[in-house]
Amino acid sequence: MTKPSVPVGIICSQSGPYQAMGREILKSAMMAVDEINNQAEFDFSIAAHVRDPRGIISEYHTVCDDLIRNVGVEHIIGCYTSASRKQVLPIVERTDRLLWYPARYEGFECSDNVIYVGASPNHNVLPLVRYVLDNLSREIFCVGSNYVWTWETNRVTRELVSAAEGHILAERLLELGESAVGHIVDEIIRRKPPIVFNTLVGSSSYDFIRAFRAAAETASLDIPMLSCSLCEPELAIVGPASAGCITSSAYFESIQLSENRAFVARWKARYGEDSSPSVDGQSAYVAVYLLARALQRAGTSDIGEVRRAAAGYRYNSPQGPVWIDGSNNHCVLTPRLAVSNARGQFDIFWEADAPVKPDPYLTQLDVAAPTFRETSKGGTSPNAPHLRVVK
Amino acid sequence: MSKLSSFSLRGRKALVAIKDERDASIVRRQFERLGIDSTAWAPGQAIDFAPDVTLIDDELLPLEAPFLGHCPVIALLGTETPSRLKLVFDLDPASFLVKPLRSAGIYAAVVMAFERNERTNDLKQQILKLEQRLRSRRIVLAAVLQVMHSHALAEPAAFALIRRAAMEQRKTIEELSAEIAAKGIPPRAATNTL
Repeated sequence: MTKPSVPVGIICSQSGPYQAMGREILKSAMMAVDEINNQAEFDFSIAAHVRDPRGIISEYHTVCDDLIRNVGVEHIIGCYTSASRKQVLPIVERTDRLLWYPARYEGFECSDNVIYVGASPNHNVLPLVRYVLDNLSREIFCVGSNYVWTWETNRVTRELVSAAEGHILAERLLELGESAVGHIVDEIIRRKPPIVFNTLVGSSSYDFIRAFRAAAETASLDIPMLSCSLCEPELAIVGPASAGCITSSAYFESIQLSENRAFVARWKARYGEDSSPSVDGQSAYVAVYLLARALQRAGTSDIGEVRRAAAGYRYNSPQGPVWIDGSNNHCVLTPRLAVSNARGQFDIFWEADAPVKPDPYLTQLDVAAPTFRETSKGGTSPNAPHLRVVK
Repeated sequence: MSKLSSFSLRGRKALVAIKDERDASIVRRQFERLGIDSTAWAPGQAIDFAPDVTLIDDELLPLEAPFLGHCPVIALLGTETPSRLKLVFDLDPASFLVKPLRSAGIYAAVVMAFERNERTNDLKQQILKLEQRLRSRRIVLAAVLQVMHSHALAEPAAFALIRRAAMEQRKTIEELSAEIAAKGIPPRAATNTL
């Protein structure tokens, strides 16, 4: 007897400025779908309906409308930038569907029709900036893509830095996809800031990192760089210049958990020994599993039932235990900090002692609070004296 | 106590008067996420605390007793008809939300209400100050005339003299002018320098 199948929409751009991430999301989501369809644990199979908006914002609305109207999906996995999520949001709310959104984002949203599987701002920018203020510098030079993720990340950074009586030395913005990074690199080399915070996305980021590292080497400068989004496939794209970047993320390929080692092995068997999973991809994988288990527990694809079944249900994912906080539909997860190395991997030097509740509106944020108080017992503290930023 | 930022919502107290239970539950949930303590209220009930913000459903308008309180009001609009909007204006709302409510928009409406209220209060303070200065202009004029007469000075020089004396005595021009006008004497500093 064949299992009944549940149609699920997958929306991710396979071309355009952030195509690399879109491809990672699709690869990971499809891996999860295939695994689930081959497991006896599930008494249904997932029929994935993949749509490619090609990085064109208005296309997200079109493909989402098509998935709901013509395919009849109740659940959709995907979107990457906030702009793309905002395109899909009115349709999923009007038709009462559920979007499982894998990317980390800037917060300040809480729709009943979205499950936010990626990191919230308190998971992401907060630990990174606090680590920097405690250990490296109170002066930061910001460079980012000109859109909401950068604006809000810089806003939070500025509040934390100001509370620590530090300074934001500059806030330089580039349009999405812009590759003319020379003037910003020149300014950095001229001003020699103690640290650079890079919130560029996609190709702009890759171009910037290469140009910045080359110029810094020529000028014999050692300026550490920060990121909240860099991942292993991007390290491979950027090449050797990508080493030494201090990165905040919920997932790194190097996480030493049995669930992750098995996940990475399955990934490499499927996509090649040289390829690596990424934080957004892994998050899409987690999203498919959270959805499948909620479907299984609910016994229906009705979104209210599925949402209730997903809330509080713990899943030992590759990134460690995660669950959805039913009060805000965001994911409880473990923040981590790492430094990228010359082998295209990340050396993790800090992680929270336990999964951290999502705080999408940063209501618990106390900018003047001593840093890392809530997470420094046991485990490795970012204040550990043996820590050194690896070049 | 230093002023709270309009973005700082945790621990703020809200009075919530909403007719429809679905809308009310959306506000409750969102306020919980934002760390705002909300208290449901219906017209006629006593209010035993000082709310930081009040949400009022347009369906409850007009309120029988004039709505008392100095906290900002967020109006919930079910219709955009001018007749209803006129009733809403009586509350002098600091921001508004359109029903049926969704979680999106509530945060912005609350932050905007706090910010609007803060700026309106600043403006009121400024107006108060300006009014006081306007009232004392007659006194300044009287003092200037007196100094012009006693020191045989033209008006700009007389005013400059009073201003310098006020600065030296760490008083406002208005305060010193009142002294000059009341005592009928020229400024001390002025006599010293003459």
